[in-house]
Amino acid sequence: MNTETIQNDPLTLYGEHLSSRFLLGTALYHSPQAMCDSIAASGCDIITVGLRRQSPKDNSGDHFWQLIRDTGCKLLPNTAGCKSVKEAITTAEMSRELFETNWLKLEVIGDDYNLQPDPFGLLEAAEQLIKRGFKVLPYCTDDLILCQKLLDVGCEVLMPWGSPIGTGLGLMNPYNLKTLRERLPHIPLIVDAGIGSPSQACEAMEMGFDAVLLNTAVAKSQQPEQMALAFAKSIEAGRSAYRAGLMEARQTASPSTPVVGQPFWHNG
Amino acid sequence: MLELYFAHVNTMMNLPEKSDVAIAGGGLLGRLLAWQLLEAGHRVSLYDAGSFTESASAAHTAAGMISPISEAIDTEPLMYDLGLVGLEQWPQWLAQLSVESLPVHYAHQGSLILAHHRDQSLLQQYAHDMKRQLPESAQGQWLDKASINALEPDVADHFQQALFFSQEAHIDNRQLLSALLTRIQQLGGECIANTAVDVSANTIQCLDAGTVKQVDCVLDCRGVGAKVQWNGVRGVRGEIVRVQTDEIRLQRPVRLLHPRYQLYVVPKLNNEFVIGATQIESEDNSPVSVQSALELNSALYTINPAFAEARIVEMTSNLRPALNDNRPQIQYDNGLVKVNGLYRHGYLLAPVVVQHVLDLLQGKTTNSPFNDVLLKPIDVSQKRIASHA
Repeated sequence: MNTETIQNDPLTLYGEHLSSRFLLGTALYHSPQAMCDSIAASGCDIITVGLRRQSPKDNSGDHFWQLIRDTGCKLLPNTAGCKSVKEAITTAEMSRELFETNWLKLEVIGDDYNLQPDPFGLLEAAEQLIKRGFKVLPYCTDDLILCQKLLDVGCEVLMPWGSPIGTGLGLMNPYNLKTLRERLPHIPLIVDAGIGSPSQACEAMEMGFDAVLLNTAVAKSQQPEQMALAFAKSIEAGRSAYRAGLMEARQTASPSTPVVGQPFWHNG
Repeated sequence: MLELYFAHVNTMMNLPEKSDVAIAGGGLLGRLLAWQLLEAGHRVSLYDAGSFTESASAAHTAAGMISPISEAIDTEPLMYDLGLVGLEQWPQWLAQLSVESLPVHYAHQGSLILAHHRDQSLLQQYAHDMKRQLPESAQGQWLDKASINALEPDVADHFQQALFFSQEAHIDNRQLLSALLTRIQQLGGECIANTAVDVSANTIQCLDAGTVKQVDCVLDCRGVGAKVQWNGVRGVRGEIVRVQTDEIRLQRPVRLLHPRYQLYVVPKLNNEFVIGATQIESEDNSPVSVQSALELNSALYTINPAFAEARIVEMTSNLRPALNDNRPQIQYDNGLVKVNGLYRHGYLLAPVVVQHVLDLLQGKTTNSPFNDVLLKPIDVSQKRIASHA
């Protein structure tokens, strides 16, 4: 019954149905083997790939890229490290050519140190890239107005941060995230960045977010494969809990065993 | 089945005295093996696709750190165990070279791990990983500002805390490569430069001339150059800057933790310093990018602003040879041994790898705890396909 429920609950992004709600990044692993093992353990359908500007145009033949392709996952190229609209567009075009996909995780970085998104550059780049035929998944802050404007220019999926990239601080502003979920009930929302532990990923899913994207917490763990599995389970748990309907917290204790047979005056 | 094959190969591999050995690749592994085999009385020809004096090998570009603890924390605990063999072996080898009046600078002075104030959490994480993954004997020592200053007076004042790994060492890699070349030539080793080769069991073929030489054993130590004959070898781009200044003295490698980069400064002879290294999953071997130059130089500047007046004597990129698991591997068959995958640990792991190759060639069945990790018989089925092709 449960399994069936999960199977009937695909994640739909830009019209494509995906069975996993876990998206994993491919950077920072101690070896390509550890990366491949983690991807397999995660059960994810989508992995993000970064294109460093130094990479040559013909790097399609490179061994590392071949390993990434061999995972069989759908590739989501990102514009990691791009600091201007122009740079993001150039990287996006190169990625489209190299990875043969018009899907794009759009990052426009505003602060070099904590890699905070630049909302203004992001919006402009998103608008231009959508006109160029990209399916843009923007990495954004949790600001409602920014998110609405990204939808206005044609984004069909949003990826607000939990906290800055690589910090592992989790959901820094639950109020903003809840607001996004309530105000944009039909838009796929993926929490991207800042997730450090499975409990944080679970929390995001319990809040009704559609998926979680992370990298560092798995890649830099001492046993990446095991950590990928831990996240996969927590994301599934969070989703099931959300679908099942969480109980509201109550101020008073309420016994879960029947109280039939107890004299009424004991209930007070 | 595997055991039988293993035993069989070991017996067959027993090189008779004064065997002819051809080695492809004149980098660190090729030179160490050539030297040791010559000392053991074999005849050795060493081939390199480029020059021996202006080596294009990763070993020439490298910083020459022998740091089992830091590398294990950065990659995996296995590197600590493999690296300990290196710490033991290097002084013995260098003593051997020194007897022949070929001194090589080797400093067993430890290394220092620093982080800027705002990146203190990285240093805590580093210490946490160290504690969890490595044995008691590998635990570094916390230093405060005064102790940092006592060890390295030229490290800037703003570093409040550091980890010190007293066991770690570093070697002057270029001095070593040149000493090994001299010794190989002294012992009558034949060094054949600018000659690309193909390797197979008992046979080495010079690609340009088309000549074929039959030998008792062929060793393939070509690093990324072996890629065409070893599916699975990949290059990982690294970039370094080499500077020279008389104003600053460092006794030991200094590593700087940063949210996105791992940077180090290693002192070399003649007041030179190597700053490295980027790590990019790409086989692009073009010159250093502006971005990388900025990152490396600014890291250097923060270690001591006086580095601003240092002179940049070199900026180079190269490819580290690696396998999928980023571990070294020795593949062997009768008349052919292929070694690769030392990745970013060339000087740390060369001793343990060379020891295992030499044992294999001598037909020694050892109880090394690393046999399972390092030694792989060349797959029989793969060989069959290849011979029918």
